[in-house]
Amino acid sequence: MGKFIVKRLLELIPTMFVIVTLSFFMIRLAPGGPFSSERKVSPEIMANLQHKYHMDEPLGMQYLRYLGDMLHGDLGPSFKNKDFTVNQLIGASMPNSLILGVTALAIAVLFGISFGLLSAVCQNTWVDYTTMSAASIGLSVPLFVVGPVAVLVFALRLRWLPTSGWINGRQGWKTIIMPAMTLALPYFSSIARLTRASVLETLRSDYIRTARAKGLKNSVVMVKHVLRGALLPVVSYLGPAFAGIVTGSVVIEQIFLVPGIGNFFVKSALNRDYTLILGTVVVYSAILVVMNLIVDVLYGILDPRISYE
Amino acid sequence: MEAYWMKKLFLAAAGVLSAALLVTGCGKKAASKGTEMVIENGAEPQSIDPTQIQGNVEQRINAALFEGLVTTDPKTCVAVPAVAESWDRSADGSVITFHLRKTTWSDGTPVTAQTFVDSWLYFMAPSTAAVYAYMPAMVIKGAADYNAGKADAGKVGLRAIDDYTLEVTLVGPVPYAVDMMTHYSFDPLPMHAIKKFGKAWIKPENFVGNGPFVLESWVPQQKVTVVPNEKYWNKQNVFLSRITFLPIDDMTTAYNKYKNGEVDWNATDTFPFDMLNEVKLRDDYQVYPNLASYYLEFNLNNKTLKDVRVRKALTESLDTKELVEKVTQGGQLATGAFVPQMAGYTPADGVKFDVVDAKKLLAEAGYPDGKGFPKLTYIYNTSEQHKKIAEWTQQQWKKNLGIDMDLQNMEWATFLAKRQANDFEIARDGWIGDYQDPSNFLELLKSDSGNNDGRYNNPDYDALLEKASKMPAGTERMQVLRDAETMMLDRDAAVIPMYIYVTQNLIDLDKWEGWYPNTLDLHPYTGLKLKK
Amino acid sequence: MITAIGKKKNKEQGKNEFNQEMKSVSLAADAWRRLKKNRMAYIGFWVTVIYLAVGLFAPVLPLHPYAQQNTDHAYLKPSLRSAGIVELETRKAYFAKVMAKEGRTAYNQDEQAQIDSILKRNKTDPQQQRHYILGTDSLGRDMLSRTIYGGRISMMIGLVGTVTALLIGIIVGAIAGYAGGAADTILMRFVDIMYGLPYMLIVIIMMAILGRNVAILFVAIALVSWLTIARVVRGQVMSLKNTEFILAARSMGADPWHIVVHHLIPNTLGIIIAYAALSLPEFIMSESFLSFLGLGVSAPLASWGSLISDGVQGMQLYPWCLLVPGIIMTVFLFAMNFLGDGVRDAFDPQSKNRV
Repeated sequence: MGKFIVKRLLELIPTMFVIVTLSFFMIRLAPGGPFSSERKVSPEIMANLQHKYHMDEPLGMQYLRYLGDMLHGDLGPSFKNKDFTVNQLIGASMPNSLILGVTALAIAVLFGISFGLLSAVCQNTWVDYTTMSAASIGLSVPLFVVGPVAVLVFALRLRWLPTSGWINGRQGWKTIIMPAMTLALPYFSSIARLTRASVLETLRSDYIRTARAKGLKNSVVMVKHVLRGALLPVVSYLGPAFAGIVTGSVVIEQIFLVPGIGNFFVKSALNRDYTLILGTVVVYSAILVVMNLIVDVLYGILDPRISYE
Repeated sequence: MEAYWMKKLFLAAAGVLSAALLVTGCGKKAASKGTEMVIENGAEPQSIDPTQIQGNVEQRINAALFEGLVTTDPKTCVAVPAVAESWDRSADGSVITFHLRKTTWSDGTPVTAQTFVDSWLYFMAPSTAAVYAYMPAMVIKGAADYNAGKADAGKVGLRAIDDYTLEVTLVGPVPYAVDMMTHYSFDPLPMHAIKKFGKAWIKPENFVGNGPFVLESWVPQQKVTVVPNEKYWNKQNVFLSRITFLPIDDMTTAYNKYKNGEVDWNATDTFPFDMLNEVKLRDDYQVYPNLASYYLEFNLNNKTLKDVRVRKALTESLDTKELVEKVTQGGQLATGAFVPQMAGYTPADGVKFDVVDAKKLLAEAGYPDGKGFPKLTYIYNTSEQHKKIAEWTQQQWKKNLGIDMDLQNMEWATFLAKRQANDFEIARDGWIGDYQDPSNFLELLKSDSGNNDGRYNNPDYDALLEKASKMPAGTERMQVLRDAETMMLDRDAAVIPMYIYVTQNLIDLDKWEGWYPNTLDLHPYTGLKLKK
Repeated sequence: MITAIGKKKNKEQGKNEFNQEMKSVSLAADAWRRLKKNRMAYIGFWVTVIYLAVGLFAPVLPLHPYAQQNTDHAYLKPSLRSAGIVELETRKAYFAKVMAKEGRTAYNQDEQAQIDSILKRNKTDPQQQRHYILGTDSLGRDMLSRTIYGGRISMMIGLVGTVTALLIGIIVGAIAGYAGGAADTILMRFVDIMYGLPYMLIVIIMMAILGRNVAILFVAIALVSWLTIARVVRGQVMSLKNTEFILAARSMGADPWHIVVHHLIPNTLGIIIAYAALSLPEFIMSESFLSFLGLGVSAPLASWGSLISDGVQGMQLYPWCLLVPGIIMTVFLFAMNFLGDGVRDAFDPQSKNRV
C-alpha cells in the first residue's frame, strides 16, 4: 500500500503539470483578453499594457516565466483586481470556502448516508418514497432557485436568519447556515441515492446471506458488513464532490455574499484574467488530485476484493 | 487580615484600571463623531489607483479619496472650485490659469501646481498605460504625442508658474475643458508616495490621498472602507464618520439588503429589473435622466446594411415609445436623437416611427414585404435587460417588416472582441457621457475614433466635428454639432437610437440630505449627512 | 398441442430450488412486472411518457405561438378569463397602488387614457380574447407554450447528453478497469486532467469558436459528465474482475472483449442505470446553470433552465413566471429519478425470480 501511495503521489506532479500547461495555452484561445475595455484604448497604450504584463514576449517564454514563478509560490498579479496578487486573492478566499465546504459536505454526508440507508432497508414502503422524494429535491431544483427562495422564506418573511453576508459581519455564525445547507443539497441528494442503490445491491449479495445465516444480529450485519461494502461507490463520489464543494458554487457565493473562491472560477474566465484563471486551476486541480488519491486508498482499504498490483 | 485588605486594594485597583481602559477604549472608537454610510457599489473595484480605473464603481470610491482642481456641483454637475479656488481663460480661450488654494495631502505634504503637472504627466506617460489617458491627451496641447510616446514631457502644455498657479495650454478654445477636469483622469497623484512605495502605495497602511476621506481597509470581495481625512481643506463639510462600499454583484441580493435596511444607498443598477413595478412605487426610488444613450450599431461594411434605405427602414419600424413604456418601463426616454439633451444643446430630431414609410423604403431597396431579406444577426451581451430589448426588436421587425433576425447572446469579453473588430451585423451599444458636451457623443462616430465599431466613415461629418472643435463656446458651435448629428441620423441613419438612460438610485431622501439626482450620476460626499 | 394462448408455455420450464415449476420469462417482461410493483417508479414512468408525448406533439397542439410578444399583455396572472379582462384588472390594480401612494382617488388623464384604450381594444382586437391559462412573461408571451417548447429543448438536451456521456464513460471505464496496468493509468490520468481543467473557460471557448447552437450545448455539458460515470464503472469492474464467475469465464478461454461485453457490463448494469437516472436530471440542471450565467440557449428559444433563471428575479412580484416552469421541470426530474431507481431495481439480474 505504501508503495502505491508513493507511486500515485509521483504521478500527481505530471498530472498537475499537464493541467496547468493545457490551461495556460487554452485560455488564450478565448476571444478578447484581459485588456478588453469598452472605451477602446489606442494601439500605443495597448502595446504598453502588454509590455507591462510581459505579454509581448513569445508565448513559450511567457509560459516558462509563469512556471518559474509558480514553482516559487508566486501565482502572479491579477489582471482585473489590479491592486492584489493572485496569491492574496486566493489566500483571502480559500479559508472561507473551506469552512463553507466542509460544513456543507458534513451535512450532505450525514444526511445522505442515513437517508439512503433508511430508504434501502425499507425498500418500496412509504418511508422509502418520502426519503427519496426529499433527496430528489436537490437534483430537481436548481441552486439559483433554492437560494433565493430560502432567502425569501427564512430571511425576509420569517426573519430567522440574515439575508446574506459572511462571518466577519455583525451576524457571525448564523450566516453560515443557509449557504451551507443550500450548498449541501445537491450533494446530499446524490449521496442518498448512491447509498440506497449500493446498499440494495449489497443486501442481496451472498456474503450478506451468509452473515445472516450465521445468525449475526441485524444491526451487526448492517454496520459491519453491508455498510462497508455499500459505501464504495459513495467513496468514489466523494473525491470530486469534495473538490467541487470546497471550491464552492458561484451561485451560493453570489446570493449569500460568501467571499469564497467559487466566484473567481466564473469571474476570472469572463474577465479573461489569465493569472487568476490559472491560479484557480492550480488550486482546484491540486485539491482534486489529492482527494482522488485519498479516495483510491480508502477504496483499497474498504474493499478486500481490490488489489493494487 | 492584611491579606484581606491587600486583596481588596488589588481588586479595587484592577477595577479602576479596567474602567479607565474601557472608557478610553470606547472613547478612542467614538472619537470621530458622525454617521456611517453603507453604499452598495455594484461590483468589486478593479483598483484604487486613479491611473488604473475606468468604471463608475471605481469612480464612486475615487470621489471619496481624491480631489482634482474642480469637482462637480451636486445638482447641476458643472465644475465648481475644489483644489483650484478660481481660474481665468485667456482671450482666445486656449490657455487656462488655475489659482490653487493651499492644501496638503493626507500625510501633510503640500499639494502644489507642480504636483498637478507631475501627476498628469505620469498619468499620460506611455509606461503607465492608463486607459483614460486619452481624455487629458485629447485637450492638452502636445499631450497626444507624449501619450503615444512620440514626444517628450517638455512639449506638453503644462506649466507651474509658481507653487499655487497652474497654467494649462489647450489644443484650442475647448469650451468644456474645465468641466472635463472634474473627471478622475485629472486627479493629482501623490508622486512622493508612489516613488517610495511603488505598487504598494495604495495599500491602506501606505495610502496617501487628498480627498475628503482616506482608505481604511479593503477586504477583497467583502468591502472597502474609508474614514475622514483629517487634513482635508473642506473637512468642516464632511459629516460622515465612515463609508463602507459593498461589492454586491447579484441584484436581487443587493435589493434585499437595501430593503432590510442594511444598506443606505444602492447605486444605479442594483435592483433586478423585473421588480421595477415594486421599486417604482417606493418613495426612495430616485430616477433622473442620465447623460447616456442606448443605441444599435450597424456594421456599415455589411453588404445589406450598406444601403441607407435598409437602415432607415429598420430604424423607422421600431416604436421606441413602446419600448420604454412597455418593455424597459424604468422611465427611460424614448429618443430619435443620438445625443441626450443637455444645457445649451437641442438634440437633432432624428427619424420618426413610421411603418408605412419603412415598408416603402424596404421595397425600394429590393425587399418588398421583407422577401429575400437575408437573415441578419443581432448580438448583445448577457443581461436580462439587453435580452428583453433584443427580443422585442426582433419581433418588431418581424411584425412590421416581415423580416427574420437571429439573436446571439455573448458573454462580455467575446462580445466586445467581436464588436470592436467590426465582426458583426447589428450590435447593441451604449455610451455614458464623461462630460456635458455633445462632442463627447458625436466623436464616437468620427471615422478615426477607436469606438466607431460600425466603421461609419463620412468625411463631411468629420469635417463638421473638426470645425466645432476649433470654435469657442456658443450657439454657433452648438449649431454646427447639431448639423453633424442631423446629418448622421437623418441622412445616413448610421445608428438606431433607442433611448436615453435614466439613473436609478435607491436612497431615502427623508433620511439623508445633500444628495441630489443628477444627469451624470456623480454624488460628492461633502455635504452628505443625516437629516436632523 | 400448440395453442396460441402463450408462447411462454412452449418455452423450456425449469425448476427452482424448492422444486417448483418455474415459468421462464424474458428479462424485460420480468423487469416490467417488477417495475409495476414499485408504485412511485410506475407513476414516474407514465409521467415521463406524458411529458415526452406532449413534447413530441407540441406543434400540433392548440398553443399560442411561443415567441409571439404582446407587450400589452406583459405579466398577466394565470387565469381562465380572457386576456382583455385580466389586462384591465392588472392595470387598475397598479393604478390603485400609485393612487394610494400619491394620495388621490381619481385616475389622472394618462391613466384614464390607458383604461379607455384597453376597453376599446377589448371590443376590436381579437388578441384580447385569448386565454393565458398559465399567465404571461415580461414580454407578454404565453407561459404554457413557452414551457412546453422549452421542455422539448431541455428533454432533448437531457436525452442526447446522457446517451453520449454514458457511451463514452462506459467504454473508457470498462477498459480502464479490466485492462488495469498502463491502460488504466493513462486513462485515469486523462480523466484526472479533464477534471482539473477550468470548465467555464472551456465552455466559453467552445461557444466562441463553434457558435451558439443547441448542439454545442450538449457537447459542452457531455464533456464533463462522462468523467464520473467512467470512474464509477471502473471501480465496479475492478471489483468484479477477480470474482469467481469471471475467473471461470477466463479459464474457459473467453477473450477480454467477450468478458467485458457479456459479463462485466451486464453486472454493472445496475450501477450504470442508477447513474443514467442521475445523469439526465443533472444534464438538465447543468443546462439551467449555463443559462443562468447567460451561456445557455439563445433567445428567443427557451429551455426550462432559461425560463427559470428569467423567472427567479421577479419571483416576489410575478411568482408564476418562476413556478410554472419550475414545477413542471421539477416534476419531470422527480419522475425521472424514481423511474431510474425503479428500472435499476427491476433490471437487477440477481433479483430475478425473487421478490
